Amino acid sequence: MKVFWTALAIVAALLVQTALGRVFPLQARLFDPFLLVVVYCGLTGGETHGMLAGAAAGWVQDVHFGGRILGLSALSKLLVGFAVGVGSTRFHLAEPAARLLVIIVATLVDAVLFGQLAKVFDVQSYELSPLALMVRSLVNGAAGMVVFETFDRQLRRWMVRA
Amino acid sequence: MARVLETKRGSRFLLGGLVLAHLVVISRQVERSGGTSLLGQTVFAVLSPFQRVVGATMGAVTATWSGYFDLRHVYRENQDLRSRVASLEMELQRQQDQLREAERLREIADVKPTLPFETVVAQVIATEGVPWFHNVTLSRGRDDGVSLNAPVISTTGVVGRVVAVGPHAAKVQLLLDHESGLGVRIERSRITAVVSGQAGFADQVGNLLAMKYVPVLADVSVGDVVVTSGLDRMFPKGLMVGRVQSARSGGGLFKEILVAPSARFERLEELMVIRTRPEELAWTQEVRPPEPKPAPRATARTTPKAR
Repeated sequence: MKVFWTALAIVAALLVQTALGRVFPLQARLFDPFLLVVVYCGLTGGETHGMLAGAAAGWVQDVHFGGRILGLSALSKLLVGFAVGVGSTRFHLAEPAARLLVIIVATLVDAVLFGQLAKVFDVQSYELSPLALMVRSLVNGAAGMVVFETFDRQLRRWMVRA
Repeated sequence: MARVLETKRGSRFLLGGLVLAHLVVISRQVERSGGTSLLGQTVFAVLSPFQRVVGATMGAVTATWSGYFDLRHVYRENQDLRSRVASLEMELQRQQDQLREAERLREIADVKPTLPFETVVAQVIATEGVPWFHNVTLSRGRDDGVSLNAPVISTTGVVGRVVAVGPHAAKVQLLLDHESGLGVRIERSRITAVVSGQAGFADQVGNLLAMKYVPVLADVSVGDVVVTSGLDRMFPKGLMVGRVQSARSGGGLFKEILVAPSARFERLEELMVIRTRPEELAWTQEVRPPEPKPAPRATARTTPKAR
């Protein structure tokens, strides 16, 4: 069941990214729905779920929006998912403020990891300026807060009904 | 199995294994220098139809949304006329959309017969999703005769090349991408060079191309027409790429030249993919779609000709 919901979330992220790219091509670069899926999986499912979701989401992102060499986003998101998962088992990250911080840090780490991996594999990719990177983190953070809160609320409702 | 993975040790092993697997997969692609893996092709083939549906839906939603926006002012001015104006505006919007589409298709229809190679018209169904690369996804794929590395052009100039292809969709690396490369020639002085996307932060580089490897003594002027050279054995010779926007002597052996592309990258909708294989192209033949009306560019820097 966990696998099904994760796969569904990744497909939803792909569709959101595609739709945003059509309507706001420039602004769409400042939002990464795949990362939100990875962070949520890491926070709620632990390190294994986080890293597997990260690898899967990264591959889908690479195949559809990546460059010549595939797997860079997959590897960076795998590591981010693992780190978030480890963090969630050691610290109390259920509070909205903690989650916001996790998303912001995850966005920064993902961007830095991607840039470094691209350099290692001699892939010429663009980087974001520090300001744009900060905006991306905040946009991801704000969107993540809303999405996570909505999911959690819905989940609680289902559990009460069950 | 799942329980083993959930243990601390199991997850560490899994992490190590996955990282290693990714490194191997990426390294193998680097060695092969291009193309996509079977896994990549499969994922692309499975998920691109969804993108296609979303692309079409978003087009319709955008048209409706802009129609609604036009109506807001009318609503404030006169409540009674609102419904009437709404229907008229919607109709107008629809007709304008049709007119614009017809114009674009007419441009393509005008240009297509003049090209001495076979092309297939494709729609852009997804644009850049990440800041790291400049790619778009087209609505045509292998079943329509699109092949890997096929050149992609618009009615006004070269757009890029196909870097991944599925049965019904293809991913195109735009010329604006830092990793792209295109053999070009300055039409007036016949100097050959390479153009690619500019280096720099993704949010700060504009829609300009960097022309590389032009000797500092070469004859290059602002406004010179840049066309494909055909020397890369990928693009036909003589296709319009753009015009030199600025040329200055840097500190080294080569000039620092920026080219304003003739393709309108900010609104790519219908594009043509060249189906003729490079070895079948007539290399001596120069082809050139009609040039667009030159748009005024405020930031043009003029530099004296180098001697």
